[in-house]
Amino acid sequence: MSEFQQVAELSDFGGADRISVFFDDRSVVVVRVENALYAVEDVCSHDGQPLTDGVVENCSIECPRHGARFDLATGRPLCMPAVESIRVYSAKIEGTQVLLKAP
Amino acid sequence: MASAVASTPGPVSVAAAGFDEHAFLTHLATRDEPAWLTERRRAAFDEYQRLLRTPLAQEEWKRVDVRGLQPGKFSVSPSGDAPQQIQTLLENRTEFAGAVSHVDGRRVESRLAASLAARGVLFGSLEEVAKASGELLRSRLFSVVDPRSDRFAAWHAAFLTGGTVLYVPRNVIVDEPLYSLIGLDRAGAADMSHTLIVLEEGAQATLLEETASTRPDTPGLHVGSVELIVGPGARLRYVQLQNWNQQTWHLAHQAGRVERDGSLQWTVAGIGARLAHIHQDVILAGPGASGEVNGATFATDRQVLSYYTQQTHQAPHTHSDLLYKDVLRDEARVIWRGMIRVEPGAQKTDGYQRNDSLLLSPDCRADAIPGLEIEADDVRCTHGATAGRVDADQVFYLMCRGISRYEAMHMIVEGFFHGIYDRIAVEAVRQTLSLAVERKLGIGT
Repeated sequence: MSEFQQVAELSDFGGADRISVFFDDRSVVVVRVENALYAVEDVCSHDGQPLTDGVVENCSIECPRHGARFDLATGRPLCMPAVESIRVYSAKIEGTQVLLKAP
Repeated sequence: MASAVASTPGPVSVAAAGFDEHAFLTHLATRDEPAWLTERRRAAFDEYQRLLRTPLAQEEWKRVDVRGLQPGKFSVSPSGDAPQQIQTLLENRTEFAGAVSHVDGRRVESRLAASLAARGVLFGSLEEVAKASGELLRSRLFSVVDPRSDRFAAWHAAFLTGGTVLYVPRNVIVDEPLYSLIGLDRAGAADMSHTLIVLEEGAQATLLEETASTRPDTPGLHVGSVELIVGPGARLRYVQLQNWNQQTWHLAHQAGRVERDGSLQWTVAGIGARLAHIHQDVILAGPGASGEVNGATFATDRQVLSYYTQQTHQAPHTHSDLLYKDVLRDEARVIWRGMIRVEPGAQKTDGYQRNDSLLLSPDCRADAIPGLEIEADDVRCTHGATAGRVDADQVFYLMCRGISRYEAMHMIVEGFFHGIYDRIAVEAVRQTLSLAVERKLGIGT
């Protein structure tokens, strides 16, 4: 059973709504949406490239290249061209620390 | 293991930590080499620092995620002595006329049959040849691979740890193959070795090169380069078997230039590495030049093996034939981006490229992107790519004859690779690849 591990400081967000971290041997994008924190594998299941710079809207992230959208809470694809889910991580903030747990 | 990365990096972000100016000067102080080589290193280091601030080429790198590469965890100067021996797949499989071995960037063996040395053949470590025959090296080193082409090429050129050099004079034929080993032993060791082969007019030689790790779980880094210079009418067979452990990063620029009526047979086998990216160029520079490229890749677990190949036809009546075959399992990924480029005036060119992928699991992924860029109007250039799962009927057919599912899969994978084996004339290489495949499938020992 995996445990939560610190991956970043809250201050790493700066003014941005997301940070990229390397966790569980994978690239992960951690996104703040209002008061909630989400973390998904930073790789689009359609073209295998990063989602980092994608638009975040309605609790989903859009692939900046072909427009696939993924639900940040479940990792499920919401529209074509993606048909496969992406990995989702449990994320939380404790004090000033950002913590993730592998699925 | 978790580590924070600077917020929203570009598609590829590689920090200089561990290979900064202090590390460079420390590395330079350990070298005993000609002034011209030191000057080239300095120029390459300046270029490396500049290129670190420049994004990598989007088309080449967008499918290869190197954000997990942390250069600060690796060093070109690990302390302690390198081991004298490494268990390898190729060594002792046949008689070699000479052998050069490096471990953790340091030479541990260098030998050549006296009869070949007497005929003017040079085969040794880069530092040996740089000292003994510096002028020969000076005009050839980095004449095919440009250290300014990207940050990895510059990084390699600045922190060069040595490598293997083969020089065969005019009309000298080396019948027995030669052997080169690049090994990694200690955790965090970086190898920046360079392989340079020069065949003068009418010469012939075969070099079998292997990369290997001493342990299955030590992180390693290889930022390497291969330059193959095939003179007019010369014939070179070069094999590189990449067999690192699955904690090793392998980044390489490899290029071969073939002159008039010369012939290059180049075989690349990718078995190991956590992530490998090879930029491979075959340049057919003289009329009648011919290049055959064979690639055999078997990726498992979460390996990422990437090939960016280019067959460049610069002269008329040139011929190139590339065949890459990939087998993938688990969550592995293989990327092949191939280009045939025909320059203006290279009429009557015959170019071919093909990539076949066999997918053994639902979660693996193969990306094959062939391309043609043709600026001549009387050529024949074709390409193709296939990807597919193992045919259940084939497995059923074999199992009906009393063969276990495991052995049936082995036979199918072996059969898939046979198209490559048939093109490799060296029996030792065929046997070694077959053994490597067995081990990957969990059958061999």
